Parts: sequence; structure tokens; C-alpha cells
Amino acid sequence: MRKLLISLGLVVCLVMAFALPMCAPAPPAEEEAPPVEEEELASSVNLYIAAASPDVAADMAKFIKEKTGVEIRQQFLSCGELGAKLKAEAPRFSADYAMHVCSPEAFMAKEEGWTIAYDSPAWRGVGEWKDPDNALFKLANWSAIPIGNKELLAEKGYTMPESWADFLDPKWKGQIVMPSAVSSGNGYQLLHAFMTIYGFNKGLTGEAAEEAGWEYMKALDKNMHHYTRSGSTPADLVGRGEFILGMTQDGAAQKRIEAGYPLVYTIPEEGIGWGGAYAFILKGTKKLYTCQKVIDSLGTPEYGEFVAGLGYTTKDAPSKFYKEPPKYVPNMDEAWAVQNKARLLDEWKDRIGRVAE
Amino acid sequence: MAEARALLTHPGAVWQNIKDFLAAHTISSTGGFLFLLLTIFLFWPLTAMLVKSISGPEGFTLEYYREFLTNRYYYQSLYNTLFLGILVTPLCIGGAFCVAYMTTRGPVRFRKPLKLISLLPLAAPPYIFSLSLIVLLGHRGIITMAFNLGWSIYGFAGCVIAQTLWLTPLAYLMIENSLSSLNPNLEDSAANLGATEGKILRSITIPLLTPAFLKAALIVFVMTVSAFGNLAILGGRTAFLAPDTYSMIMGEADFNMASVLSFFLILPCAIIFILQAYLIKGRGYTTVGGKPVAAEPRHMGPAILIPMLAVSFIVCGLILLTFGVIGVGAFTKIPGIDNTFTLSNILNLLSNEVLINSLKMSLLAGLVGGTLGILLAYVIVRGKFRGRSALEGISLAGFTLPGTVFGIGYLLAFNNPPLLLTGTLAILVLITAFRHLALGEEAGITKLQQLSIEVEEASLNLGASIATTFRRIVLPIIFPAFLYGFMYVFIMAMIGLSAVVFLITPGTQLASVFIFNAAIWGQMGLACATTLKLILVVGAVLALLQYLSKWTGLSVTRKG
Repeated sequence: MRKLLISLGLVVCLVMAFALPMCAPAPPAEEEAPPVEEEELASSVNLYIAAASPDVAADMAKFIKEKTGVEIRQQFLSCGELGAKLKAEAPRFSADYAMHVCSPEAFMAKEEGWTIAYDSPAWRGVGEWKDPDNALFKLANWSAIPIGNKELLAEKGYTMPESWADFLDPKWKGQIVMPSAVSSGNGYQLLHAFMTIYGFNKGLTGEAAEEAGWEYMKALDKNMHHYTRSGSTPADLVGRGEFILGMTQDGAAQKRIEAGYPLVYTIPEEGIGWGGAYAFILKGTKKLYTCQKVIDSLGTPEYGEFVAGLGYTTKDAPSKFYKEPPKYVPNMDEAWAVQNKARLLDEWKDRIGRVAE
Repeated sequence: MAEARALLTHPGAVWQNIKDFLAAHTISSTGGFLFLLLTIFLFWPLTAMLVKSISGPEGFTLEYYREFLTNRYYYQSLYNTLFLGILVTPLCIGGAFCVAYMTTRGPVRFRKPLKLISLLPLAAPPYIFSLSLIVLLGHRGIITMAFNLGWSIYGFAGCVIAQTLWLTPLAYLMIENSLSSLNPNLEDSAANLGATEGKILRSITIPLLTPAFLKAALIVFVMTVSAFGNLAILGGRTAFLAPDTYSMIMGEADFNMASVLSFFLILPCAIIFILQAYLIKGRGYTTVGGKPVAAEPRHMGPAILIPMLAVSFIVCGLILLTFGVIGVGAFTKIPGIDNTFTLSNILNLLSNEVLINSLKMSLLAGLVGGTLGILLAYVIVRGKFRGRSALEGISLAGFTLPGTVFGIGYLLAFNNPPLLLTGTLAILVLITAFRHLALGEEAGITKLQQLSIEVEEASLNLGASIATTFRRIVLPIIFPAFLYGFMYVFIMAMIGLSAVVFLITPGTQLASVFIFNAAIWGQMGLACATTLKLILVVGAVLALLQYLSKWTGLSVTRKG
């Protein structure tokens, strides 16, 4: 009996010791000791990457390994997932740096103080491609575009929609897939583009503009089969003919078309949206010097050219994916998209994501 | 001088005292230690999760529960989840019973092949079924195109098929184990006395198997509702609790709502567990049943034989088909698009790396889980302290509660000092070992209950310490249980997804998560190839163990 009491007491103490700090509000982030200057390159760094698709990410890691000799141990995530991961792990990150992160997540990381600034010699004189505080390095611009399955379209005698409005045709019911705005940066960029096309660019402002965007999204939802977790998945699903139409990142579409999937893309007459992709060093890394060397290599024109070949538009070259420069949606306000993301996603859940059938 | 000597011997005396105490209370102190471990690694994560579900930014709140209870979407999610469990469980049990009956009582020439095929999926990740279902029955699937079917595999029906196919082998394993340890003499006597096969089934076999049915039903139900691999790949827009929990954590870091969802996922599992424990009480007679005897096939009327054989063939046929698709997919460039032969998927370096990680983690988890399992068994059977049933109860929690729940719990509980474990391989080892140690423990309990305590008492009376007795008497007997526990934890560690998916980091990637992601991102060839390699690794390790246990004369195949 005594032993039972003792062990019970131990258990209670233990639970209290752990549970009490948890109930209390989170302590302010500890004052970080200045990172130790090291001179030697580490053999590997851990990376969170939100590139167009996992194979694109693998190409990038290979490039960096060739240029710096550093092995990149990467975890591919969608932008929303990457943001969630940082939020869940802060202030102790499992990665040393992150790259190809969408604007909302990159600016969140900077604002929360999760980044380490670095005045990289390779990133001087690049203008708007680096943020003035040296925290974020803009690697590229990218777009979410509509794609279709050539074979299925021919079989049914359909042609690719020429405008975003054409996607509302009831003949596409259950035949379209797009990424969820919650987990995927592509999904959110599409939502942002719809609000710009149907709201802000039609002279509406504030709530009315958003409402017009939601109206389109709601109508599109009627034809949507489901929303995927990652922005690259629709390229695969449409490529394999599971669905006729989809929306995916340009880089993901390029990779699949190169591999031989029967995919076609289209630039709707209203244009396609765009957004930035950033790199930044994460606070707490024990391999700061190595991360800095990697950031240097990302600033070289060589990397810019290489990534343009993967479908991105970089400071050094336009995307090699498009045969001619595509029409972009005018007046896409990235700062607005960054500021309003959390609120818009809550609305997304109420209007699209968590709605009973 | 004398003083100095006293000082010198003093620490020794203290140590002697500690040793004496430990010798006198070995079992109780081991029990206390195990209790502490279980509390930290099973009870505490659950508590952390429940605390999270009621703590908002300003302290205590029931806001998240209110949100769950007022949004129809969550109701639908809960309803779909329960309905899925209720539908899949009897399908699995029914199918598994037919196969088990055929492999133990049916025509001899079918027994071995049927058994082998139906055990195959246990070494493969569960979501291979959704992969092959898409290849076969997707909108452009082989079967869909061949027969011009106008239906969709995405949705509730697809999930039911995938989960049923995956879990039937697990149910089979448990039912077959009981069925083959039932002495067929009873059934033969009934048959000689003129009872029909149907009558024997109804009045002898099925009643005797009830405990096995209940146990299998519990596990199938829990796995169905909590393993989200198939549901996430095939669900489309159909809402289920487990994949929703997963996307809430991964996509939004919304721990509060995810904890609430977890609570509602725990609820039915806990209810079923209690119900099962209540129903199984007093039905222990099968466990003392005779040793397995190879039954001569009785003459079976076609009314029983044909439907049972048909079900068995369908189940095994579908399993073979699935593995065929995986095997072919592994060597195809892009299955369905570019069907040229390639070795690039098999030779993929990254997948080798994650496989090595998985192997390392699984072997460690097996070792930890197997050891803790038999220690628990010993303490529970031989200990005299109170709270033994509590010890058994907590250790079963890992087994009966959904993996997602523990994944989130571990993430919450071990992301802060002093127990900062996230990002390490250790956390993966611990969560897997503690979640699955119960099977080895149960096997150990069964073994120990068969061993009379008198042998141990004799050893103790002759002056051997408890440690020696354990090593020389108990260990040889309990070792098969250890191996059984080791194997189970090892397999679960290799193929498990729902808990570890929350805990992997760039440095600690695992094969099961790698395959799941490859499937989600559409790298079908890579997913198939890695699956194939995973199955081969699991198979090789199991074969090695089997060989070792034969070589040492310690059989693993029977726990009873």
C-alpha cells in the first residue's frame, strides 16, 4: 500500500511539473546567445522546402550540393504546411533554413523574429529581390495556372477553358481539382487572384471586393471534385487522367509535361496570379556559417538561370516554361495577401473547407 | 585510522542497503519503475492533448468543444468515421473467419497458400491498397477502362474497400491463432454424432471463438477509424475525423481543434474497449484450450464450403492483385502514362536512406517494446503489489487508442525541456515501442500463467536471487513472448504512419511517411518501388528471426 501511495505521489508530482507550465501562457522567446562564428562548412544542413513539387525540390538540392558541397537534407512541404510547421516548432526548429517559402509564411517568419539576418555579398544590388533588413531573400516569382488532360479533353470533344468564367460551366462538374487554400500556397494564390479579378479590378473595395471573389469561388466549388493538400498533386491527378481539369503551380506542370504526361496548360484571358518565393535562415541553427554559404549560392546568377529552367521567374531570367510571356492579373497586391491570410483562411473554412454536404 | 576506515566503508554500506532493499523488493520496484515509464510515455501525452483541448489563449475555455458541437461539418465527420468503423469491422471479421476456417479446417491443399497470401499485407504499409485501387479502379483505372465503369473510387465506398482489404489480414491473424488452438476433437465428436457443419459452427466453433472475435473487432475498429492513409488518399471530399486531425496539425498548426477532434476519436474507441472487456469477462475458456492439432479435413457440405471458399478466394485474389500492381508499378516509369520498364525507382537513393532510418528505428523500438512487454508481463503475473490491473490498463491504452492521438500528444508533451525529444530518432522509437508493447505483454502473461510459480519458488528457496531466477528459469520460457512482441513492434514500426507522421523532421525521415507522401504527390512508381523494398526488408528480418528461433529451439509462431 505504501509503495502504491509513493508511486501515485510520484505520478502526481510528475504530471503537475509538466502540466502546470503548459497551462501558463507561453513564455517570451528566450534571449538567444549570439551565434558562434564557425569557419568550417558542415557536411549537411536540414531544409524545409516548399518548391513546386518534390522532384523540383530534389533538383534544387542537387544543384546546391554541387555548388557548395553541402548535403541538403530536405523535407518537402506545401507553403501552408511549412508555415504550420514553423508555428508548431517555434522557437526550436528542426531545420536550419527554409527556401521557396510563399510570401505570407516568409513574412510571418520575419515578423515573429524566427529569421537570422545576413548581409550576403551575393545579394547586393539586387533591388527588390532582397528585403531591406537582410532577413528574406526572394528567389523567384511563380504562378498557379489551369491545366487539362489532353486525351480526356479530346475524348469528350471539349476544349480548354479560355477564361476563368468558363470553369463554371456545369459540364465540368466533378471534373476539376485544385489545392486547398489552407495547406497550399497555390490554393491561396488562386483565391487572391479571384478576389483581384472579380473584386478589386472591377472597382470594388474592402469587403465587397472579397465578397465578389468568394462568389466566384463558391460557384467554382460546385464543379470541384475535391481540394488537394499539395499544389503539385492536381498536376499528377489530371496528368494521370483521374480528372479533366485542375490548377497547379507552373513548375509542377512543367515537370510533368517533360516527363510525358498528356498535360496542356492555358492562360485565361483575365490572366494568372503570381506570388514570391523566399529563402531565410532559421533562428537557433548551429550551422549558421554553412547556411550563409548556401544563401550566397542562391544569390548567384547561375542559380537564377537554373531555377528559371525549372519554371520560375527569377531576378536573372524569365521562366522558361512559358513560350511567350504570360498575361498576369494586374494589380495583384502581395502585401494585402500577406496581411489578410489568417482571416481569409478562417473564412475559407466556413465557406468552402468545413461545410457539410 | 578507525574513523577513516568507517568513512571508507560507509558509502559501501549505503550501497549495500540499497542493494538489499532492491533484492527484497525487486518486483515491486521494477513495477514502480515501469509504472513511471508508462505514465510518462503513455499517460502524459494523452493528458497534454486533453489539456490543450481546453486551454485557449486566455486560459481555460470550452470554446473549441462548442465549435465542434455547433458545426454540422464536424458532426458529419464524426458520423462518417463511426459509420466506416461499424461497416468495416463486421466485413473484416466475417472475411477473416472464412479464410481462417478454410486454412484450419478446409481442404488441405488450399490451407498453406491461402494462409501465406492472407498474411502478406501485414508486412506492407496500409495505404498500398488505395494506391492499387486507384490504378485498378480510378477514373482511368485498368478495370474501369476495361469494363467502362461509370463510378468513382473516391469517396466513402473506396475507403470502405481499402480499409477492409487492409484489416482483414490482421483480423485473420488473431482469429486463426484461436481457431488453430481449439481442439478439433470436440467438433469431430459432434460431427460423428450426426451434427451438421452448420450446427457445429453455430453451437461450438463460433461461441468458442467469441473472445477472439471481440478482440479482433476492437483492433479492427480502432485501426479503421484512426489510420488515415487510405482515407486521405481516397476520401476526396468525404469528411473523416482522422485525416481532418492530420490536416489541422500539418496545414494549420491548430492544436486546439485537433485535440478536440482527437477527443471525439478517443471516445468511441474507449467505449468499445470497455464494452469488449466487459463482454470478454468470464469467457476465458478458450485460452486454456488444447494445443493446436492439425485437423483432418472433415467432410463439409457444399452449403458451407463453397461460400467460405469463395470468400477466401476473393480476399486472397484481391490481395494478390494489389501486390501485383505494386510489383509492376515499381518497375514502370510512370504507371498508366509511360509504361516502359525502368530501374530508376528501385535504385532511388533517397528511398534507401529512409529505409535505413526506418530499419534502425524499428529494430530499436522492437527491442525496447519487446523488453518492456515481458517485464510488464512478469511484474503483472508475479507481483503482489496493488495497482497491477491499472498497470495493465495503461499499457493497453497505447494499443487501443488512435495513433494520431498519440502523435499529437507526443508533439505537445515532448517539445519542451526537460523532456525535449522532438526532432530525435528517440521520440520515434519511444512512441512506437510504448504504443505497441501490449501484444508482447499479453503473450508474456499467457506464457507465465502456464508456468507454475512453484518452479520459481523452488529456485528462490535454494538461494538464487530473483534476478538469477528470472534469467535461468523465467527467461527461457518467456523468450518466445519477447520475440513475438519484438516482431509485432518491429512490423508496426516499419509500416506505421498515423503517429510518427507528426514527429519526423528533415534528419529523421521514415520509409512509411516517404511512401505516403510519394503517393500523395503522385510519384506512383517511387511509392510502389519503396513499398516493395520495405516489404522485402520486413520479410528478410522476419525470416531471420524465424530461422534464429528455430535454431535456438524457441518457437515464435504460437503465443498460447
